[in-house]
Amino acid sequence: MYKPNDLIFRTTTSLIAFILLGFSIYLLLAGHNSPGGGFIGGLMTSSAILLMYMAYGMDIVKKILPINFRLLILIGLLIAVTTGIVSLFIGVPFLSQTFTYVTLPIFGKIELATAMIFDIGVFLTVLGVTITIISTIAEDQ
Amino acid sequence: MSNLAVLPIIIPLLSGIIVAFFAKNVKVSRVLAALFTIINALVAVYLTSVVFTDGTVILETGDWVAPFGIVLVADPLAAVLVMTTNIIALASVFYAPFALTVKKEQHYFYAFYFFLISGVSGAFLTGDLFNLFVFFEVLLMASYALIVLGGEKVQLRESIKYVLINLFSSILFVTAIAFLYGVVGTVNMAQIAERVQEVEQTGILTTIGILLFFVFATKAALFPLFYWLPKSYIVPNPVVSALFGALLTKVGIYSILRVFSLIFVYKISLTHEIFIWIAALSMIFGVIGALSTNNVKLIIAYNIIPAIGFIMMGIGMFNEPALSGSIYYLIHDMLIKTALFFIVGAIVYVAGTSDLKKMGGLIHHYPVLGWLLFVSAFVLAGIPPFSGFIGKLLLLEGALENDKIIIVIIALLTSLLILYSIIKIFVNGFWGEQRHIEPTEKKPLAGFLVPVAFLLSFSILLGVGAEYIYPSIESISTYLLNPELYIDSVLKE
Amino acid sequence: MTDALAISERILDISILISIVGISLSLILLVYRIIKGPTNPDRAVALDAIGVNLMGVVALVAIVLISSKLNDVVLLIGILSFLGTLAVAKYLEAGVIIDRDRD
Repeated sequence: MYKPNDLIFRTTTSLIAFILLGFSIYLLLAGHNSPGGGFIGGLMTSSAILLMYMAYGMDIVKKILPINFRLLILIGLLIAVTTGIVSLFIGVPFLSQTFTYVTLPIFGKIELATAMIFDIGVFLTVLGVTITIISTIAEDQ
Repeated sequence: MSNLAVLPIIIPLLSGIIVAFFAKNVKVSRVLAALFTIINALVAVYLTSVVFTDGTVILETGDWVAPFGIVLVADPLAAVLVMTTNIIALASVFYAPFALTVKKEQHYFYAFYFFLISGVSGAFLTGDLFNLFVFFEVLLMASYALIVLGGEKVQLRESIKYVLINLFSSILFVTAIAFLYGVVGTVNMAQIAERVQEVEQTGILTTIGILLFFVFATKAALFPLFYWLPKSYIVPNPVVSALFGALLTKVGIYSILRVFSLIFVYKISLTHEIFIWIAALSMIFGVIGALSTNNVKLIIAYNIIPAIGFIMMGIGMFNEPALSGSIYYLIHDMLIKTALFFIVGAIVYVAGTSDLKKMGGLIHHYPVLGWLLFVSAFVLAGIPPFSGFIGKLLLLEGALENDKIIIVIIALLTSLLILYSIIKIFVNGFWGEQRHIEPTEKKPLAGFLVPVAFLLSFSILLGVGAEYIYPSIESISTYLLNPELYIDSVLKE
Repeated sequence: MTDALAISERILDISILISIVGISLSLILLVYRIIKGPTNPDRAVALDAIGVNLMGVVALVAIVLISSKLNDVVLLIGILSFLGTLAVAKYLEAGVIIDRDRD
C-alpha cells in the first residue's frame, strides 16, 4: 500500500506544537482583562494536541501524554465551582472576585486576580471536553 | 444580599462533579447521591421558610449592583417550585437504583441528574432573562445526555428530534432576547418590567412577548408545539422520563407564568386571550392522544399536555383565584406526574411489556401497585379531597369570574377523559385474566413503591391540608398580580 | 506639520478602503472557487486562502479601531486555518485524519 511520507509535517509539528502551547498559556493568563481566557486557551491547547495526533497517530501521543482527559473535565469543573464556593465561606456574594499586585524576581510587578483561577478551571474543562470529543470521533472503527 | 439564594443551584452542581469522580463505583455513588440530595432538599426547605417569613431573598452575584450584574431572586413562587423540584429529586434518587441497570448508572447517570436539578433550580431562581437562557441550556445539556443513556436504537432516533427541536427553540430564545435588549436596553427582568411599564407595552414589545411565548410553549409542549413530546419522553428510562415529565415542561410553563405576569401584562386582552384558547386546544388534543394509545408509557406522556393546558388556562384568566389555581396545579402536577411515571415504570418492569393489550391480572400479584395507581388516577383527575381537585376548583372559579363558560366545560370534560385514560390502565392491566409474560415468579417491588408512596403522600397532603397551604399560595398569586413588588425588591434604590 | 499628519491620515484611509475592496473581491472569487472548484484540493487551497484573507480583514479592523487588542485574533485565525488546511490535506492524501498507529 502507498504510504505518504510526511517528514516535513512531522518536523514542523514538533516546532509548531510548542508555539501553540506557549500561545495558549499566554491566552489563559491574559484572559481576565484582555482578549483571551480559559475557553480559548483550552481550545488552543487542544489544537496543539490535535496537531500531534495528526502527525504521530493516536497511540504514540497517548504514550507521550498519559492523561485521562475525562478526569480533567471533572477536575476543571471542580476548580471553577470551588472559586465560587470559597466566597460563600468568607461571607461575600457568590462569585465575588478580587486581585492583588505582587512583585516576582524576573517578571517584575504583575497583577494576580482570583478570576484567573476560575479561568484555569475553564481551561482544563475545555481541554478535556475537546480532546474527549476528538478521540471518540476518531475511534469509531 | 444573602448567599442562600444560590445554594439550590450550587449544591447540585458540586454534587454532580463529586459523584462523577466515583461513577465507576456504583455503591459509593448511590450513597453520595442520596446524601447530597437530602442535604439539598433540606436547604430548599430552609430557603422556602426564610422566603415566606422574611420576604424575597435577593443575591447580586459577584457584588455587582442589580441592573448591571446577574441577580438571583428567590421569591415565594421560585422558592416553592425549587422545594417541589427537590422533593421530586429525593424520590427519584431512591427510585433510580431499582429502575436503572448498573451499566447506565456507571455512565454518569447521577452526575447528569444533579446537573439537571441544578439547571432547573437555576431557571426558577434567576432574575435575569439571559441567565434564564443559560440555565435552560444547562438543563437541556443534561437532558440530552440522559435521554440517550443506554444508547438503544429507538432512543437515538427520538433524541435527534428532541435535540433539534430544542436547539431551534434555543436559537429563537436568544433572538427574542436580543430583540428585547435592542428595544429596552437591559436583560434584567425587573428592569425590563419597569421599562415596559413606562412605555405601556408598545406593539413591538407585544411582538417580542409572543416570540418569547413561542419559545416557552415549545419547551412546555403547548397545543401546536407538543408533537415532539410524547414519543421522546417514553424512550428513556422511567426515572429519566419522570424527571423530564415533571421538571422540563414545568420550567417552560414557569417561564410563561413569570414573563407574562411580570413583564408583558399591559395587553391582556390580546395575549392572555390567545392563551385561553391555546390552553383549551392543548387539553383537547392531549387527552385525545392519551385515549388513542394502548402503550402505558405513552398514555402518561400524553397526559402531560392537558395538565400544561390547565396551568395555561389559569395564566390566561389572569385573576387571583385562577393564578392561585395555576400555581396549585403546577405543584400538584409536578408531584403526581413523577409518581405516575414511577408507577408505569414498575408496571412495565413486572409485566415485561408496555402494551396494555398484553397485560392483565396484575392485581393478584401486585395489589399495592394497583391501588397506588388507582389513587394516583383519582389525584390526577381531581377527585376530592385530593390535590388536583383544589387546583381545578380554583381554576374554574377564576374562569367563571371572567365569564368563560366554554373553557369550563372543556376543562371538566377533559378531567373526566383523563380519569378514563388512567383507569383504562387499571382495568386492562390489573383486572381480568392473568396474562403477563412470566406469571409464576413474583418480582420484589418495595423499592419501586416507596418513592411513589412518598410522592403520593405529599400530593394527598396538598389536598387534605389545603386549608393550611392555600393562604401561602394565595399570597404568591397576589404577589404575581402586583409586579411592583418584584421590581421594588430587586431594584431597591 | 499638521498638513503632513492630515495627508498621511488621508492616505491611510484611502489605502484601507482599497484593501477592503480588494479583500472583498478576492473573498468572492474564493467562494466561487470553493463552490465550483473542479477538484477537492482546489477547494482546500481556496479555504486556506479565505483564512489568510480573514486575517487581513481583522488586521484592517485593528487599524481602523486603532487597537492592539486584535493582534491575538489574527494569530488565532492563522493557527486555526493552518490546522484546518492540514486536516483537509491529510484527509485527501491518506483518507483518514487521525490514525491509530503510524508505522
